[in-house]
Amino acid sequence: MCGIAGKSSCLPVLWKNTALSQENPVLQSAAVGELGRLAVELLRRGAAPRACEAAARKLNIGADTVQHGVEGLTYLLTESSKLMISEIDFQDSIHVLGFSDELNKLLLQLYLDNRKEIRSILSELAPKLPSYHSLEWRLDVQLASRSLRQQIKPAVTLKLHLNQDEDQIAQVLQTDPSTLLHLIQQLEQALGEMKTNHCRRIVRNMK
Amino acid sequence: MRFRFCGDLDCPDWVLAEISTLAKISSVKLKLICAQVLRDLLGDAIEYEKILKLTSDAKLESGDVKATIAVLSFILSSAAKHNVDSESLSSELQQLGLPKEHASGLCRSYEEKQSSLQDSLRACSLRLSQLGSVRWRVDYTLSSSELREVNEPLVHLVFNLRDGERGGMAAVPIAISADKFRVLLAELKQAQALMNTLL
Repeated sequence: MCGIAGKSSCLPVLWKNTALSQENPVLQSAAVGELGRLAVELLRRGAAPRACEAAARKLNIGADTVQHGVEGLTYLLTESSKLMISEIDFQDSIHVLGFSDELNKLLLQLYLDNRKEIRSILSELAPKLPSYHSLEWRLDVQLASRSLRQQIKPAVTLKLHLNQDEDQIAQVLQTDPSTLLHLIQQLEQALGEMKTNHCRRIVRNMK
Repeated sequence: MRFRFCGDLDCPDWVLAEISTLAKISSVKLKLICAQVLRDLLGDAIEYEKILKLTSDAKLESGDVKATIAVLSFILSSAAKHNVDSESLSSELQQLGLPKEHASGLCRSYEEKQSSLQDSLRACSLRLSQLGSVRWRVDYTLSSSELREVNEPLVHLVFNLRDGERGGMAAVPIAISADKFRVLLAELKQAQALMNTLL
């Protein structure tokens, strides 16, 4: 069964790709090598049209064919890496394309060599919440206001610096000391949760 | 062990680890590196090449050089933050394992610059916004679409605020009638009198 879930649109593209259907096995492996390299570069750095044109000239095939081949291979690699399919599943999936054994072996090698790197690139695509950068604070005492003199009202002003998608945002908060103590207590309780049996069991199983 | 220069808390592990790196540098060179680190803390540019030259004798790797700068920055700024005098700092550093000459050299550099360090730390404390300047203009309204003879003075004020968040300048314009302006002025004078009692 095709281990690469449902999206069979890439497979006909790869099958029709004349670059990969070269009869000459030497040309075939050169084509796979070149297209594979371009596919991984596409995932690392983004589109590189000039590199595709250079490869088209080197392999003596149309630039469009190279482009489609690279896109098909990219899709194949990302879907396989995303699902982390085993070697056997990968081999079964590309078997339907009807390529030669040599070609299948080359594609499998390409997948296994680049799987880890592609997974780390894909992990960065997940949406991220704002993350902590730094915290500035200040302790003030309000002594008087327009409406009331002779006061003593302590207040803590906090400026929370957060990183969100390479931007820095800052949030200003103000609280009185008793709320701050309550906040600290709640956060310490949250940290303490890590030491309960329930959490320890889960952490042990994840490792 | 509680250290005053760490705010009466334990000394961080990484500082303890780097004390031995500091001991590898000669005490004279350490004093010169301190001078560079103090320049950086006071806002001038740090001269990294000079520090590299000074540490080349001790054969420190680039990671160790950066660690040295980080440890010195921490010790000096933390001591200034908690208002530690230089003798206490020297004895505490010796307790951590820093040799006597190194500690006294470091503390002498610290003592020279302690008050400027504290001033610069005070200046970069959290501040939400800051008044840059005030511009004003007094107008006299002769007439308006509502009333033919108005004949009233009007004060325009523009407060230029330095926005704490982004560091830009924001202009806040206000137009006040003469009566309201008198109230504002009286209240602000009261606030100023209160501030003067505290200074």
